[in-house]
Amino acid sequence: MGGFKESLAAAVRQMAFRTSLDSLKKKGVQQVSVLGIDRIVALVEAAVHRSLRSHLVGIEREAVADATKEEFLRLLRSNEDLQRQKSEIERLKERAEEEIDGLRRELATRHQELQLRLEQGAQAVADRYEGENAAIAQRVGEVLRSLAGAGAPTVADAEARVVELVLDVVSGERRSAEEARAALRDREVENLQRRIRKLNDALGQTEQRLQEVAAMKSVDDGISSIYREVQGLRPGEVQAQKKKELMAEIFKANLELQRKLEG
Amino acid sequence: MTESKQKDHGVLYIGMDLGTSRTSISASNGVRETIFSVVGYPKDVVSQKLLKKDVLYGKEAIDKRLSLKVYKPLEKGVLKYTGDAAMDGEAKANLKAAQDLIGEAIRHARPRKDELVYCVIGAPAEASVKNRAAIVEAARAHVDSVMLCSEPFSVAYGLDWLEDVLVIDIGAGTTDLCRMHGTMPEETDQVMYDVAGDAVDAELARLVAESCPGAQFTVQMIKEIKERYGFVGDSAERAVVELPVAGKPTTFDLTQQIGKACSILIDPILKGITKLVATFDPEFQQKLKNRVLLAGGGSMVKGLDSAVEKAMRERLGGGKVVRIEEPIYGGANGALKIAHDMPADYWEQLK
Repeated sequence: MGGFKESLAAAVRQMAFRTSLDSLKKKGVQQVSVLGIDRIVALVEAAVHRSLRSHLVGIEREAVADATKEEFLRLLRSNEDLQRQKSEIERLKERAEEEIDGLRRELATRHQELQLRLEQGAQAVADRYEGENAAIAQRVGEVLRSLAGAGAPTVADAEARVVELVLDVVSGERRSAEEARAALRDREVENLQRRIRKLNDALGQTEQRLQEVAAMKSVDDGISSIYREVQGLRPGEVQAQKKKELMAEIFKANLELQRKLEG
Repeated sequence: MTESKQKDHGVLYIGMDLGTSRTSISASNGVRETIFSVVGYPKDVVSQKLLKKDVLYGKEAIDKRLSLKVYKPLEKGVLKYTGDAAMDGEAKANLKAAQDLIGEAIRHARPRKDELVYCVIGAPAEASVKNRAAIVEAARAHVDSVMLCSEPFSVAYGLDWLEDVLVIDIGAGTTDLCRMHGTMPEETDQVMYDVAGDAVDAELARLVAESCPGAQFTVQMIKEIKERYGFVGDSAERAVVELPVAGKPTTFDLTQQIGKACSILIDPILKGITKLVATFDPEFQQKLKNRVLLAGGGSMVKGLDSAVEKAMRERLGGGKVVRIEEPIYGGANGALKIAHDMPADYWEQLK
């Protein structure tokens, strides 16, 4: 009986909701009536017993009371299980939400990094072009200064130096472009090789399947000849000599045909 | 080749009659098969997937011909292949079809993989060297050793009729006549006419078209009617057949037309007999006239032997014609016998 009272008290506590005095005041509540849990439990128990007494008698009443208590405890346990499941689901939900938040944060970070990289790349290209432009300008300046320092240069000298400079710059660019093209080609070759490998694998698998199917099919071993060795004309054969001559003639004609084929 | 090794392997002999209409084989393992000399290749990828085969042969090729590019690689008894450098695509395709056909015929003999296979092919008497070479090349891929011999000769050899005999081999493309006098026949011993089974089919088709207005038919249908009812002289039964007219099966009595169409065979046969008898040693002419052998698919025309005998009586004063027992396999059986009788060292030398 003691266990029942404790369970009933726990159930009342669980079903009650907590609130603060401030929040009650905010709702305009000035005074509250307090009813202890022990008192509530005693009232519930008394109500149950009175109801049973008015409808049942003796042993029957006791049995119904026990069964009711048992059912109440079962429902209570079931309610506790549901509560536990609910808490677990809520916990999983919270964890999933945390993970989503984490992923969103990571995505944002990656976006930022990408943007930074793109900007850095664009800046690097701009810097490289600027550097190249400056280098070209410097070299042109050097050429012109050296020409000026050498007195009055002829047009041919100037042309030769300028052409030399331009070719030097252009050949550098050509090298870079060629390397880029080679890298692209290498990638294409690598892709093609990968596809060939895949096709080879697929072919191998198909061939294996084919062999399996062929092995499954009943193989015709053929029918044995009645002869175990080469026969030839039997001794005592009718017209044996004539047949021998005819065989020789047929052979001769076929040998001639074979020689013509090989020749 | 040692004796013991030969015994380990076994020897399969195959005799083959490579004909315009049919190709027959007889083998020393008891197999005897005939297939129509028709080869079909799927027209496109769709039909190939549907048929699940790269090549179809014989009746199957005829039945599925709408999905196939069909080849009849032999015409008038010889391959549709000249061996010329300027040979067009169609001729090359016919050569391939002939090679595939020979391979299929040999597969029909069901040779064991551990046996030596020696094959004799009855080649058309008129085949050119290049034509013969193509046949040998095709067969070599499937056998250990191969020889060719004249078709009429193989028929006579199969029956042990080696001297003073006149063989008439009525095929689909040609009618070959060959006299045997104890040696291999030479060119002067042979005559050939292109009036044979196909010519009878064409004549019958013409007569049916003339006499049965509206009747629809194909060459294959005509061939089947001829093979079922073909006769010369007096008919034993009426040839009543059904042919569609505007889609409706209609009954026709073709007895007269069939008799008339088949009788076109008699005249060239008589011309050939007369020529070969008249140019033979006079002392042996009578013997030759009395030993006329009728062979080939065309010899199955009922009453043909009697009709030829009757014509010989009228034109040559008499003669005796014998129809071989197995017209379809006569050539193949003879070739098989030649293969059997051929000495071992001859086979070895031709490997």
